[in-house]
Amino acid sequence: MNILVCLKQILDPQIPARDFRIDSAKREADRGSAALVTNIFCENALETALQVREAHGGKITAISCGSETAEEVLRKALALRADEAVLIASPAANPDPLFVAKTLAAAIRKIGSFDVVLVGREAGDWGAGQTGGLLAEELGVPCISFAESFEPASDPAKVRVKRQTDSGWEVVESTTPLVVTITNHEHNVPRIPKTRDVMQSYKKPLTKWTLADLGVDPQTANSYYAVADLFIPQKETRCEFISGDTLDAKIDAFANRMTEVVHSI
Amino acid sequence: MADVITLVWGPAGVDRAAQGLLGAGRRLAESLGGKLRAAVLGATDDASIAAIQSVADTVLVVEDEVLGEYQPENYLTALVAVCKKLSPSAVLLGNDTASQELAARLAHRLGGSAAGDAVDVSVADGRLQVTRGVYGGKATAKIALARSPGVVWVRARAMAPAVARAPGEVERIKLGIAPDARVRVVSRNVEAKSGARLEDARLIVSGGRGLGGPEPFKQLQTLADAIGAQMAASRAACDAGWVPPSWQVGQTGKKVAPELYLAIAISGASQHIMGIADSKVICAINRDPDAPIFKHCRFGLVEDYQKVVGPLVEKLKQH
Amino acid sequence: MNDPQQATREVFWNIHHAWVMYALLVPTVAVAVYGLYRRVRVWRRGQPETESRWDRPQERIVLVLKHALLQLRTWRKLYPGVMHAMIFWGFIVLTLATTVVMIDYDFRIPIMRGYFYLVFQSFLTDIFGALVIVGIGMAAVRRWIARPKTLVYTREASVILCVIAAILFSGFLVEGWRIAATDDPWGAWSPVGYLFARASGQLMSVEAMRTAHVTTWWTHLLLAFGFLAWAPYTKMAHVIRATLNIYTSRLAPIGANLRKVDFESEEPLGIHSLAGFTWKDLLDFDACTECGRCTAVCPANHVGKQLSPRDIILDLQRLSHSENADFSKSYLGATPALSADAMWECTTCGACVDACPVSIEQMPKIVDTRRYLVMEDAEFPDTMQQALTSVETRGHPFRGTAFSRVDWAQGLTISTMAEARDAEVLLWVGCGGALVERNQQVVRALAQLLTKAGVKFAILGREEKCTGDPARRIGNEFLFQQLAQENVATLDRYQVKKIVTSCPHCFNTFRNEYPQFGGRYEVNHHSEYLAELVRAGKLSADMPTDKKVTFHDPCYLGRHNGVYDAPRELVQLSTKSTPIEMTQNRSNGFCCGGGGGMSFIDEPPDKRVNQARAKQALETGADIVAVGCPFCMTMLEDGINATKGDRETKVMDVAELLWQAQAKDGQQKAGQ
Repeated sequence: MNILVCLKQILDPQIPARDFRIDSAKREADRGSAALVTNIFCENALETALQVREAHGGKITAISCGSETAEEVLRKALALRADEAVLIASPAANPDPLFVAKTLAAAIRKIGSFDVVLVGREAGDWGAGQTGGLLAEELGVPCISFAESFEPASDPAKVRVKRQTDSGWEVVESTTPLVVTITNHEHNVPRIPKTRDVMQSYKKPLTKWTLADLGVDPQTANSYYAVADLFIPQKETRCEFISGDTLDAKIDAFANRMTEVVHSI
Repeated sequence: MADVITLVWGPAGVDRAAQGLLGAGRRLAESLGGKLRAAVLGATDDASIAAIQSVADTVLVVEDEVLGEYQPENYLTALVAVCKKLSPSAVLLGNDTASQELAARLAHRLGGSAAGDAVDVSVADGRLQVTRGVYGGKATAKIALARSPGVVWVRARAMAPAVARAPGEVERIKLGIAPDARVRVVSRNVEAKSGARLEDARLIVSGGRGLGGPEPFKQLQTLADAIGAQMAASRAACDAGWVPPSWQVGQTGKKVAPELYLAIAISGASQHIMGIADSKVICAINRDPDAPIFKHCRFGLVEDYQKVVGPLVEKLKQH
Repeated sequence: MNDPQQATREVFWNIHHAWVMYALLVPTVAVAVYGLYRRVRVWRRGQPETESRWDRPQERIVLVLKHALLQLRTWRKLYPGVMHAMIFWGFIVLTLATTVVMIDYDFRIPIMRGYFYLVFQSFLTDIFGALVIVGIGMAAVRRWIARPKTLVYTREASVILCVIAAILFSGFLVEGWRIAATDDPWGAWSPVGYLFARASGQLMSVEAMRTAHVTTWWTHLLLAFGFLAWAPYTKMAHVIRATLNIYTSRLAPIGANLRKVDFESEEPLGIHSLAGFTWKDLLDFDACTECGRCTAVCPANHVGKQLSPRDIILDLQRLSHSENADFSKSYLGATPALSADAMWECTTCGACVDACPVSIEQMPKIVDTRRYLVMEDAEFPDTMQQALTSVETRGHPFRGTAFSRVDWAQGLTISTMAEARDAEVLLWVGCGGALVERNQQVVRALAQLLTKAGVKFAILGREEKCTGDPARRIGNEFLFQQLAQENVATLDRYQVKKIVTSCPHCFNTFRNEYPQFGGRYEVNHHSEYLAELVRAGKLSADMPTDKKVTFHDPCYLGRHNGVYDAPRELVQLSTKSTPIEMTQNRSNGFCCGGGGGMSFIDEPPDKRVNQARAKQALETGADIVAVGCPFCMTMLEDGINATKGDRETKVMDVAELLWQAQAKDGQQKAGQ
């Protein structure tokens, strides 16, 4: 099975809140001393791909669209034993999801054929959650979202995808090629690479393309939508810490506060 | 045209989400100077149609059999057809998974722009502007949609319902959609739910990583039962497999808006807070006095939950 | 007439065909030597050691004297100490006595004469021989009646006791009958033999005694030679192997006992089969006497976990013994003790290494196994994975912390190295100190004390990265080396000469491990440095508290690096009395349970090391448990929370205690 996995590099979502700053001119977060990480759902996607390849064979190509630092994301993917990696150097500061989708689609067409493209359901920074769907539209293929896993169907030209719904899950069968967006699940928690693979990853080939190579116009980076304003909202909540002389008294007071709210409904 | 379409999923009926959606649609339609047109897809009953009719200017009921079961490609085709028929400026959807996965694709096919997880939709310079939380809830962004129509999925339950007015017109149609042969639903598993869905729950008891395993959740269930609450969990507990994924509340997970949200052994990372920010009252039990959850609480108890839950259940039963 | 100067006895009296004894010596020695050689052959299969085990011979000889001869560690427990000393010194004397006979008879140097014969050969030898019997008796009672858990109960061990007893008894019988039958004028100089002689004289004729003497003599010979030949195949060979093991033991402190991995050449990374061990490791396995002290002091084992250092060593010993042992076969899971789960219970406290009377290094082998599991298998507990991923990504293990590296310093005037180029001391805050709220109070107290003492210090602030201690202990040596190189580069860029750490793990890593990466600095733990400042008159305590304080020795400060007194000096100064000592203290201290990455593990609620230690601390009746480490702080606070009674026992760092004892306006009360 020929699997493509798209990985996004984002600012560490675990930055302590008080360290989080906005560059209001650029309308994006200020990097400061924060680390850059692979978006967790992209990692879930790569893990899903690795498990499918382990069970059914195939090839995994990791793709990332971003600045030069995104190479690190691809090195980590190679350390996890992705077969190949492609970096699309995109200097655009905050491209909209359609721009990203068009860029990825161009790269995918250049790569050639594929069975499944996996993307994370959304990114931990902007959380638009659109890239997968828009990519499917650009490529003219079906899209199945919020998947936790997939496998080849008995028909070799199809796959079966298990996805989460509001009320549980469902298994959907689709023809290939298609786009699948991956969400987190206890079975696709990203694995840790083996040290030897980490050491080898630096020797594995990593293809680099520019937007010009793909025929994408960087001027269109915000022709779908743009960030008009970005700010940190001020929050004011003071928590009343329940106190008491004994544990029992405290639990009593807590129960009373709860009951006040419950009875007011 | 300056109309707003709100999409209602037939089988769900006019739940709190649909009410909020219609309210938001009405307010947006007024800002745009257009009409509020509701489109209902999938099987529905007359009571629901009447309820929608009382707040919308027109109601389009799409009755194609192929929409009897949700299948994304078919629903997308239907939505595109509806939108092309009605030519709106804006399309509003709720925050259920179907809406989330179709919004962007719909925008693409209509040549418009989409945005999601909106807490507010307004108009600026003739374009839709969407307000939403970003960076795990640490910041707020205003997104200006460049193309039309703007397709937006919103946090419908947090929005005020529309006010009833003279009933709108109802039109029932069949679009004659050819089912998409590429995709089919093979099987479906609906978890037995005792009571309301999590998003509609008015009382929620939620557990986190600090519980350490699936067993303590059973104790939390007795607490939930004592006050008639639904159970939920943080992402960490779901990732560990202690509880089903459908219990997950947070940035990726359900967005809930209960009257009371009790967080037990949940640290309160902003990604979790994003899912509960619409709660009226948040309270917590956590043995760490510096847990970030307390910053969002009305009241809290700094204790080991193991010492508290049992006696708390007894006391709540007495009230 | 009986001139004492002429006192002696007839060697081989009543024995004919004595040449048989000499003849039997040959196969005996051959078998024995072969037994020893077999082991040596196994050791030679081992990898080479990266550091010399033969250098600095004077220090090594001192170790042999302390541990092989005086057996100082064996004496930590009184009963076995006495018991073993009796057996050991008894055998020494008996061996010397036999040598004396050989010199006198075979080499014809007449030393077995006169007062020497009477006092040493007769009297002392008899006494010491009797002591051997007493010692064996004590051992038998211990092994067959008391049956402590720490011993390994094998038939071999029981047979050894019986054989030794038989040799001694038969020896005394032989002596007694000789004395009686020859009417030895000097017989009374051998009190035990003399008693036998008197008793036999009542019961037996001389003829009978002679017959009995001969039979018993040959029996005694066969037993002794048999034992000699057999001993190298049993744990009795510890006589030689333990001595060799002690001689070749590591001279560096316990904190320096992890070897550096060479990523260019090592394959596989870490150890999972016998092939990965060095000759010294294999010698370690063979030196084991099955005493069980390592497991007895292991905190994980104490709370009921599976980890047993004794069984790890003995199981590996057994695996290495089998003829044609396949050294490439993985030992993981071969026995319960060698399971991966057991490896993940180790806190790397080093109690096992410290307790071993024959200087076996159990703990590093556990870390070596972890290295394999982490770097080759990538299989290790989830929470440890998260901690290390966090170290890799954001330079600290505390994913989700609400704090940055400099938040603790708010309100204090503290410069970074980038700002204060004239700083003399780098205060290395550490991840725990900066990012865990309770520990921030400790660092604040420490910083304010340094300021008050007029120390020109600075911090690295956001440039500080984890020293890599958790990475190394959990087994990701690759990550550790990366961090070491990065930190050394940062420190060298600022030309740092002197470092004071607030955490013993950072302290240990800088002092003992960074030199391997070119980082050579003068490193002190904050307790040492503060004590130095006190001695120099730069700090004192104006308002010592009258609360009762007990001090919990951090493993990485105490046992790993021998620093026990400095923190106690601070406690003494800050209170009005000497600190209460817990029963398990100083080098025998009981771990808080936080080391080795264990503070990132959710232990089963009934098997928590920190709760066991908390109980020990509470038993002292102290109001305050003083600590010197951020991990100990967290673990003991949690432990006390879980087990305390109604008293409000606080946990405080020694720096907080000292700061609290300072007179100042508007002081911040630490930890109260």
